[in-house]
Amino acid sequence: MPGTQLLMTFPVTATSHSLADYRARGGYATLQKALEQMDPQDITQEVAASGILGHGGAAFSAGRKWGVVKLDDRQPHYLCANADEGEPGTFKDRWILENAPHLLLESMLIASYALQVRHAFVYIRGEFDLPYRRLAAAVEEAYQAGYFGERILGTEFSCDIVVYRGAGSYVCGEASGLLSSLEGKRGYPRNRPPRLTVKGLYQMPTVVNNVETLANVAGIIAHGAAAFKKIGTPRSPGTQLVSISGHIDRPGVYEVEYGYPLKKFLFEDCGGILGGQKLKCIIPGGVSTKVLTAAEIEPVTYDHASFDAAGSSLGSGGMIVVAEGTCMVRLLQVLLRFYHHESCGQCTPCREGMGWMHRIIDRIVAGRGEPDDIDRLYQISRWNDGNTICGMGDAAGYATVGILNKYRDEFEYCIAHKRLRFGGNLEVVANA
Amino acid sequence: MPEIFIDGHSVQAKDNQSVLEAALANGRFIPYFCWHPKLSVAGNCRICVVQVEGRSWVEISCNMPVTEGLKVFTDSELVRAHRKTVMQFLTLNHPVDCGICDKAGECKLQDYHYAYNGAPSISRDAKVHATKFHDLSERIVLDNERCILCSRCVRFTHEISKSSALGIKHRGDASLVRASEDGALDHDPYSDNVIDICPVGALLSRQFLHKARVWYLEPTPSVCPGCARGCAVSIWHRKSTWQLKALDPKQNVSIARVTPLENPAVNGPWICNKGRDLAQIFERPRAEEPMLKGKPVALPTAIDAARRLLAAATHPVALVSSWGSNEELAAFASALSGRLTAFVKADWAPEPGERIEDDLLIRADKNPNTTAARALFAPLRNPAAPAFDAETDLVLVWGEGFDFARLPAKAKIIYLNAYLQPENGHADVFFPVSIQTERAGHYTNFEGVVSAFEPCFPKKPGIADAETVFAALTAAKAEKP
Amino acid sequence: MKHLIPEFERLKARFPQGFESSLVLPCVRRIQEDRGYVADSDIDGLVEYLGVPRMQIEQVLSYYTQFRREPIGRWHVQACRNVTCSMRGAERLIDHLTQKLGVTPGETTADGRFTLSTVECLGSCGTAPVVMVNDTYHENMSAEKVDALLSELK
Repeated sequence: MPGTQLLMTFPVTATSHSLADYRARGGYATLQKALEQMDPQDITQEVAASGILGHGGAAFSAGRKWGVVKLDDRQPHYLCANADEGEPGTFKDRWILENAPHLLLESMLIASYALQVRHAFVYIRGEFDLPYRRLAAAVEEAYQAGYFGERILGTEFSCDIVVYRGAGSYVCGEASGLLSSLEGKRGYPRNRPPRLTVKGLYQMPTVVNNVETLANVAGIIAHGAAAFKKIGTPRSPGTQLVSISGHIDRPGVYEVEYGYPLKKFLFEDCGGILGGQKLKCIIPGGVSTKVLTAAEIEPVTYDHASFDAAGSSLGSGGMIVVAEGTCMVRLLQVLLRFYHHESCGQCTPCREGMGWMHRIIDRIVAGRGEPDDIDRLYQISRWNDGNTICGMGDAAGYATVGILNKYRDEFEYCIAHKRLRFGGNLEVVANA
Repeated sequence: MPEIFIDGHSVQAKDNQSVLEAALANGRFIPYFCWHPKLSVAGNCRICVVQVEGRSWVEISCNMPVTEGLKVFTDSELVRAHRKTVMQFLTLNHPVDCGICDKAGECKLQDYHYAYNGAPSISRDAKVHATKFHDLSERIVLDNERCILCSRCVRFTHEISKSSALGIKHRGDASLVRASEDGALDHDPYSDNVIDICPVGALLSRQFLHKARVWYLEPTPSVCPGCARGCAVSIWHRKSTWQLKALDPKQNVSIARVTPLENPAVNGPWICNKGRDLAQIFERPRAEEPMLKGKPVALPTAIDAARRLLAAATHPVALVSSWGSNEELAAFASALSGRLTAFVKADWAPEPGERIEDDLLIRADKNPNTTAARALFAPLRNPAAPAFDAETDLVLVWGEGFDFARLPAKAKIIYLNAYLQPENGHADVFFPVSIQTERAGHYTNFEGVVSAFEPCFPKKPGIADAETVFAALTAAKAEKP
Repeated sequence: MKHLIPEFERLKARFPQGFESSLVLPCVRRIQEDRGYVADSDIDGLVEYLGVPRMQIEQVLSYYTQFRREPIGRWHVQACRNVTCSMRGAERLIDHLTQKLGVTPGETTADGRFTLSTVECLGSCGTAPVVMVNDTYHENMSAEKVDALLSELK
């Protein structure tokens, strides 16, 4: 086990997601404690004091985000759990939705109480069917048990929840794109200012938090911020649910305590590289983070500071493991095809840039690349960075620059010889 | 009222302004495509970027609130580099259609390309193609390849005309502006404004398509006579220095197109489609000869005959045109109001299917100068004071739209009209008169705002100004020649 | 779609007041579930019921990959082609499906049984390669497993 566990603390069985099992594990006792013994501000303070950072990819302090909402502004406030999980390589929120939906719901109730939210939402990607059904069933159980609705647990606090299904758009995982979708429109991200905590859903103050971030709230309130901070590292308290996949022997969702050595995680907890092959690189946090080579991960521990220092980022916690022999040119091609497909099309640099990069990489793979195509990819990445409505333009740039920085030789080879050094292979050689 | 600094110059901004608005209001230019003073902020084109002092990145200025002491640079090296990249992206797939595109000469993309990029494309990949000559509506042609997806047209139909007729379908670089499938754009009487606000040659007027290069045309300020709003318009026609003799001379005196002329007191930057179609009103066949009961005569003969009729009449009535200008109405009043009992008629009524009235621009009264006319004379439909009675023996009808069957059977008719209509031949005396594009004048709109129009074209020799005719008729006591 | 209105009324009651616009996505999803796709008459009906601009619904239908305005085969075979799935054999699997079904991605078999599509990341990378058939994820797929699956789908 990669360190202390906070969320994956129970065996997954046929019924472990049910209300009965959750209550047997102590579920909804924290909600009671929060409603009966704490004021809304106390809860926000505790969350802020815990230092918990967002688990969706941006790593923004959840407590600071909550703190922007003014409790006495006499406007409706909304809370939305981001269960869109579209970042390739990421499937850890799904674990919570399928196996611990009540943990999310209890945490959302506590958060709604803290933020004076009367209507909460879970935005779940349209493709997730089992997670949706589990969550919807949990919502019905919770309503029947009186945890949602009017005057919860005999207090003045009322709260309703709607589980809202997306319909196939990666940018609906971006908080403002998510809210546009929740308003029944295209998932068009929005410019800031204004921040969503000031003007969000239907221009009302809205907090959007990743599912995992919210799922931690119950534990923070149950055991206190101080206990939470004892786990992990000072800058990255607590744990991260890591989805690991690719050329790894034991792919899946693992809960990793921040600060845990990365190499140990890969080679012990996850069984090392598939087929006993050698590690080439990892894409650490969903494809929108810069690759780290086998050499570079040596000193790295699983936390924000260590990853930043290594020149990458934890991102969404979706780690993709790449074995030696994999063609990075083709890997970038798959990524650029993805970004091109998902661009919403609003802003100039991303709309035109994604298509441009995709066409360039297609040409390179087809043996018609030119030397300055590599510069062009760098340029387009640079021109998108910080100049787009949402982070997708930047993300595509990071993915591209990361791969080009470390594996430029593969691209140069392909351009010079009009064929791919590794034959375009993406699978582990033993598997192919 | 924050003070901000743009390129080192102090600017007094207003609360709630963006840096872009503050700059433009104070004579400092920042380029923009998607921003429009009357529409919500989209912030998608990314060309309005500025650099805040102390920051190593650029930000869009259309969505940047002014704050006290804010210092921005609109022309730093970083800003210039970014504007150039935006232009590279915009021209990446934009077809080089300038040679055949109507927008050439008034195209922001052209202007900004020269100002901020000026370099050829650095792409070696073929341009992405999209629909060309798409029938967005009966009036508007759309070229999706030229479209830069600024969304001005979409926002216009949602926020201003409220037809919600336009949208952007699909996504990424496959995005396409499209009209809703229920034909709402065809029923949006303000639809053509999107042609003006389109910063490139994507949305084009079908009636103007390939008719003329804009640099051969000049706009003359005028007032739309389509209703009592009196929107300010520009009537575009061939420049006097480009009058080509070799071509059909009619081209030299025809209306190429009509666009809004911004008037904050009346119509802002918009007009309705009726105003675009003024050629359909003004270029109808014209009456060119004075007549006596349908027989062409010289003008002095007609004047003479009219004077005699007027002198002989005991109960003459006049039906005054609500399309008469302030000047013409004044001339009528001073010349003839002592002699005739005058009533103001509504020359035009709403056509079937025409929008009657709304809270944007369109007014139910489809005449441009009812207000000025009613200030001088009584309206025609007043039950308390009917226009005709058994004793009416002369009716002077000025302007079109009155059903001659309603005239008293035994009354003599003097008729002033610009257009070739059957009634002209039924009048005892008929005078062909000028229209507003042939003279200067003013209309007063329903709110009392007075707007001026200027002449675009010379009038043909046989045609008289109504003012001249009225003045000539007052010398009614003159001797027979 | 009129027969779905009682259901939509119950759904509307769960949302806050004034959230009619938000009902577009769930109503469209339900209509598509019912009919198999969204017909023009459904759009008209939904416009009337929700009072949203028709263009909003048209845009939504064109923007989201899961919504369609044309019928497809009984079984929508959606194979992920994103990074991890490609690294675990998705490309070979898609080739296999293409050969097996006799259609390329985007097409429907002549008997109307299967429509083949390629999709982006489904959030199941740990069990790659993944094929989603209608609403169900089929994980850890291989050519053999795909053959077995297809033969069960009538």
